[in-house]
Amino acid sequence: MSENTLKICIGTPCHLMGAADLLESVEELDQSLREKIELKTSHCIDNCCDQAPVAEFNGKVYQDLNPEKLYKIISENIR
Amino acid sequence: MGLVFEEFYRSVPKAGEEVCGDNVEIIKKENKTIVVLSDGLGSGIKANILSTLTSKIASGLLDKELPLKEILSTILATLPVCEVRGIAYATLAFLIIDQDQQLRLIEIDSPSAFLFRNDKVKKLDYREFELEGKKIKEANFKFQRQDQLFLVSDGVTHAGIGGLLNFGLGWDGVACQIERTVKKNQNDLKYSINKLVKIFNTFYNDQAGDDFTIIGMKYRKKRKLNIWSGPPLKKEDDQVLAKKISEAEGKKIISGGTTAQIAARELNKELEPGLKYYDKDIPPTSKMEGFDLLTEGLLTLNRVLSLLKKYKPGQIPVEGKDGASRFTRLLLESDSVKFFVGRAVNESHQSLNLPINLGIRSQIISQISEQLRRIKKEVKIEWF
Repeated sequence: MSENTLKICIGTPCHLMGAADLLESVEELDQSLREKIELKTSHCIDNCCDQAPVAEFNGKVYQDLNPEKLYKIISENIR
Repeated sequence: MGLVFEEFYRSVPKAGEEVCGDNVEIIKKENKTIVVLSDGLGSGIKANILSTLTSKIASGLLDKELPLKEILSTILATLPVCEVRGIAYATLAFLIIDQDQQLRLIEIDSPSAFLFRNDKVKKLDYREFELEGKKIKEANFKFQRQDQLFLVSDGVTHAGIGGLLNFGLGWDGVACQIERTVKKNQNDLKYSINKLVKIFNTFYNDQAGDDFTIIGMKYRKKRKLNIWSGPPLKKEDDQVLAKKISEAEGKKIISGGTTAQIAARELNKELEPGLKYYDKDIPPTSKMEGFDLLTEGLLTLNRVLSLLKKYKPGQIPVEGKDGASRFTRLLLESDSVKFFVGRAVNESHQSLNLPINLGIRSQIISQISEQLRRIKKEVKIEWF
């Protein structure tokens, strides 16, 4: 069981705003980083669709993401 | 339990040709089904035009119940004459089956039909006569519950010429292949047709020497499908809708992420969102016990609509593992479809400046039901 959980929202707005790119960017992380993360998808996380795409990393919700921002969040908060 | 007549076909063009010189038209009416197969002279575009004209004229006039003599003379007077051969020509086979399962089959220059009954393939009893200078074969019989009937173009009976055989399979050879294939899986007509096409193609060494088409027909039980899409306007209806769909008879689909979340909450079941993108434009499907398919909402429904618009009756439903293809397949495999539609609108969708043609749920579902009615499915919609 990984220590870190990343949930990416795949609701319609998040999908349209690039959720698939987020998922892809996680799969392309360095092996050493990737294996510490349990990756899940989710339906609407926090009803903040106007700030799509949304993801939840270790219980905290992050909005208006792109692959670079997500990478920063992961590398700063990974346990 | 009602029965429905189901029919599937596949056409394969001659190797190297873009279009098939055979054409199939299927017309479904409340009380009868009309199936027409025509094979144009030669191959390619010219053959395609000949066969399309022939089958369109025949199916249109049959639909209006004109006598056979009229139909034949109209076709003969209309077909363009081939420059090379100096004749205008296409074969024609058609059948009409009514709700009493009484079947009438007429064949003009096309291979005799194959009737699969009691684990054996046999030839029908034909009456022969001449009309407008054409030799015509007619068969009338009652289609039984377990019967399967196959019509083929001559590309099938000639399978093997230029490939593995010197003289082609012939009628008996084809009968033998049909018998062998259908026996293995009597309930799945799609499987049989796909398998047979593969077999005939193999005899041709995967380089079909002529256009070929095979149509299969049989009766099966009616299938039901229930679809819930969208949260209801009133929150207290959440419980009502969840109960309705979980108790409904037949297969079940939920379309919409939020809708799936409501269902999971009300039915106290675990919802498992999927990770895999089979198609970049269609978000992954989810899983929940008791449901056959859970998809995303609007994008998937839009794709379903465009897939349905392209569908011609009798074709084998679309391939593909993404949510929209699976959704469309379930729709096409069912005979009576019931929609439970919630009309609540997700406020934040409105602020996103989504492309206008994405439309709103109720419009898309109305259009989907229109398409389903076009191919003679029973459709009911309940709004919440």
